[in-house]
Amino acid sequence: MEQLICENISKNYKSKDALQDVSLTLEKGKIYGLIGRNGAGKTTLLSILSAQNPPSGGRVVLETEGESLPVWENEKALSHICFSRELNVGKNTSLSAIKIKDYLRTASVYLPYWDQRMADELIRKFHLDVKQKIGRLSKGMVSMVTIIVALASKADFTFLDEPVSGLDVVAREQFYRILLDEFTETGRTFVISTHIMEEAADLFEEVVMIKNGKLLLKENTQELLETCVHISGKAEEVDRAAEGLEKHQEERLGRSKSLMVRLKKGQKIGKADVTVQPMSLEKVFVALCGEEE
Amino acid sequence: MQEILNQEKSIYLQIKEMIEQDILRDILLEEERVPSTNELARLYAINPATAAKGINLLVEEGILYKKRGIGMFVAEGAKAAIMKKRKECFFDDYIRGLLLEAASLGISKKELIEMIAGAGEQDEEASGNA
Repeated sequence: MEQLICENISKNYKSKDALQDVSLTLEKGKIYGLIGRNGAGKTTLLSILSAQNPPSGGRVVLETEGESLPVWENEKALSHICFSRELNVGKNTSLSAIKIKDYLRTASVYLPYWDQRMADELIRKFHLDVKQKIGRLSKGMVSMVTIIVALASKADFTFLDEPVSGLDVVAREQFYRILLDEFTETGRTFVISTHIMEEAADLFEEVVMIKNGKLLLKENTQELLETCVHISGKAEEVDRAAEGLEKHQEERLGRSKSLMVRLKKGQKIGKADVTVQPMSLEKVFVALCGEEE
Repeated sequence: MQEILNQEKSIYLQIKEMIEQDILRDILLEEERVPSTNELARLYAINPATAAKGINLLVEEGILYKKRGIGMFVAEGAKAAIMKKRKECFFDDYIRGLLLEAASLGISKKELIEMIAGAGEQDEEASGNA
């Protein structure tokens, strides 16, 4: 089975350690959500996974067709990977003068499985004028261009960095449907890095959470949400319910208290007069990544 | 099956319950094909693996069965089986909470029974006036 394996990746800059000892395996045929705060290391991780940035330590290996290929400068391995970055189009960058059609043509040169028919279909769906220069596009249209590159690449492992920033809710829902259609038809692996996780949470089979350059967790989304619960009520009752369990985000207001509990296998909430509620992915994320260390 | 997904329960459980509900309401009849996991995934914008989890639970319980190469179908006796299952869970799902709430409000069992007995008559009067 095809897998993209990240072994003990670290990335150190003079000013900070962007990634520390990150190890994970991406499997073929899954949609992953990559979430983390700004600066947590998501984009760094994606660029290292796609060999656009060399790691300071560790390596990335693609297992395909019985071979184990380190991705760095490996044309064969990299033909299976596409990282469609968020485009930052400042007024004076060279990017702003390039027309959409030329940007897509450049992308197609690097992506051996490029599907022009799909690109054309998406251009039509998104109502883009390919003769327009990227510098003149709205934020939403720029996002659409990066989405087209990602989808038309037909790469086995495709990474999208903030694909929906700038898209209105109607366009976002359109994107999720297009992504799902492509996924169900081809079984390509998608890794989506996004802040707008609540909408996309249902799409992610697994969620990868990065906190301060480290891998905090990599779990099946449904299972993660089943093990994180919000407990609230009278403070003593809440403490009794959460006895011996992993607690996060404890908050007090008068005699009441609330917190999130992350249950490990076999654990149960203690019997107490409390309100127990499920939590959304967003709330779980804030509870786990919003804390001061 | 056009309900909106909420955050109260795991998505795959909601999918399972929606299909059960449709079977109870005769929206899906026995021996009819149910939407595939891909169709469900597209309809609700969820991961197909999640939709599959819900469907597989129904297959395990004998509510649905698979016809190779064609799809998932409602099993014979599915409606009766769902009703039986829900009857068995009725106490835990509805009565237990009702008793706890009534107790915390000081409502006696006798008052509860009177409320239940009275409710039927009120509904009959109302439908008589309609």
